[in-house]
Amino acid sequence: MSSSFLLRRVGYGLVLMLGVVVLNFLLIRLAPGDPATVIAGEMGGATEEMLESIREEYGLNKPLIVQLGIYVGNVLRGNMGESFFFNQPVASLIAQRIGPTILLVITAQILSILIGVFLGVIAARKPNGVMSGFVSVFATIGYAVPVFWTGIMLIILFASVFPFFPAEGMQSVRLRGADVFTKTLDIAHHLVLPAFTLAIIYLAQYARLSRASMLEVLGSDYIRTARAKGAAEKTVLFKHALRNAALPILTVAGLQFGNLISGALLVETVFNWPGMGRLAFDSILRRDYPTIMGVLFFASAMVVIANILTDISYRWADPRLRGKS
Amino acid sequence: MTALLDISDLKVTFNTRYGQVTALDSVSLHVNAGETLGVVGESGCGKSITALATMGLIPMPPGRIAGGSIRLADEELVGASPARMRAMRGADIAMIFQEPMTSLNPVFTVGDQIAEAIMLHQKVSADRAFKDAVALLDRVGIPSPAARARDYPHQLSGGMRQRVMIAMAVSCRPKVLIADEPTTALDVTVQAQIFDLLNEIQRDFGAAIVLITHDMGAISEMADRVAVMYAGRIVEEAHADDVLDFPQHPYARGLIDCIPALGREDHALKEIPGVVPPLHLLGAGCAFAERCEHANDRCRHEKPLLANHGHHPAACHGVEEGRI
Repeated sequence: MSSSFLLRRVGYGLVLMLGVVVLNFLLIRLAPGDPATVIAGEMGGATEEMLESIREEYGLNKPLIVQLGIYVGNVLRGNMGESFFFNQPVASLIAQRIGPTILLVITAQILSILIGVFLGVIAARKPNGVMSGFVSVFATIGYAVPVFWTGIMLIILFASVFPFFPAEGMQSVRLRGADVFTKTLDIAHHLVLPAFTLAIIYLAQYARLSRASMLEVLGSDYIRTARAKGAAEKTVLFKHALRNAALPILTVAGLQFGNLISGALLVETVFNWPGMGRLAFDSILRRDYPTIMGVLFFASAMVVIANILTDISYRWADPRLRGKS
Repeated sequence: MTALLDISDLKVTFNTRYGQVTALDSVSLHVNAGETLGVVGESGCGKSITALATMGLIPMPPGRIAGGSIRLADEELVGASPARMRAMRGADIAMIFQEPMTSLNPVFTVGDQIAEAIMLHQKVSADRAFKDAVALLDRVGIPSPAARARDYPHQLSGGMRQRVMIAMAVSCRPKVLIADEPTTALDVTVQAQIFDLLNEIQRDFGAAIVLITHDMGAISEMADRVAVMYAGRIVEEAHADDVLDFPQHPYARGLIDCIPALGREDHALKEIPGVVPPLHLLGAGCAFAERCEHANDRCRHEKPLLANHGHHPAACHGVEEGRI
């Protein structure tokens, strides 16, 4: 892998993030209404003098371009502003919540890719078989069912009827003083239902995609070559075919990451998961603009990073994309 | 003496949307150790199906071996267990394909792909197998083999890739090597090199070669014996010189007439009119009758059988009746 490729890719990412910051800022500023009245509203109504002093304090009476400059400068220094509602710096609000979200999103991503691709490969072995039909039906249901409904159904089934898993939260209160190992197990236990809820939609898509991709690859000449060598069917499927079929799956996995984060918003709300999704939900309801902007910023950053990682893994998976040696 | 590879009365059918079609109809072939058998015919004649059937690689379904036998060194392959076929493929019987550009897996280095073939059939370490792969690349005439072994297929030319395929195919010293149009996708100069290499390999490794081709030139250069196939049947079989010098079946004559000759006065290239009929449209008569200038009513209604009517075996009523 050339380092110039990596540098260029990270450079694009930074430019993209700057664009996100500017868009974020404009989106909020161009929305109808005066931010000062919103801030004042949160404080319980205000006189014209108070509004004026708020505008003064937040720099709202300066020209838009100057405000933008100030905002970008603040973001660059790591200052995301102060939450109207939580009365805390947005950066520290997000710092508390980004961990659980990353944990949830990455677990769901891994689950959906592993299970989805496995189902897809099995289905591709017999394109007209029972498993293939199951994958198609399952994928259609996966697309169609809203994630909060899946979440509620899983809670009813696996937390209420069969109480295997906790219905909400990330940690049990009673384990506050326990050792790290017990706590980790406890978090994993809490993670099962939300992660599966989030994974199910994407799992179905990966199953369908990898079935199609495998079917295409299984018809290629090099698969016949592998069989002609005397390779076992398992090796043909999981080594020779899957490495090639993985290329479109990787692309989709990278693109899917953004959807996964917006899906996390709903799942976190259903399961009371203490992540950024719930923070976004709460701050949208309360018109807490700095927090919304902060959440958008970090969500975009996660997507940009995920896309850079996808590009890197793509070049790792497909030697034709690397420079000639 | 029994032949090394002995195919007799092989019948292969496929279920298609036109119903069941017979891709191979009582095909009998044999190859002796150290011999090269040429199998000629146009696309769609059943040459590749014969090869795939021998390798046990016919997709089933839709394909089915409906009858006959394939014996390799006196072991029956039709109905052999999948595990037995796997053990045999690549070790006792190996195949080189037509398309070197797409026959190698693009995501693995060529060295690894050859080493894999070695490790599938021999109990050697990965390290040893890779070293053997490098030695094989050297043997098939690839310059700086140690460096090329770490290349991916897309970094090599078509001719180089076919050499890699040959190295892979001979890695376990197979008794029979099937080469399915190994040079069709290559430049003429590279073709000659590949044929030379196959000849050398045969001398060194003593393998029997089944060379599938539609190129009579390749036959004259490589083959000891020739089987001419048309629409899933063998229509003529004899020593290469006999077929080339005294072709019996009108189809074999047509193929030989198609070879362009230097200095020939007529400038138009000869061709056989028409195409191989689709298998589901085969009638009761000779499959070649529609394209044959000698065809009569008997040809159109009665299938000719392979029999010696004079010089050497051919399946043709015209030859039998002395009309041709």
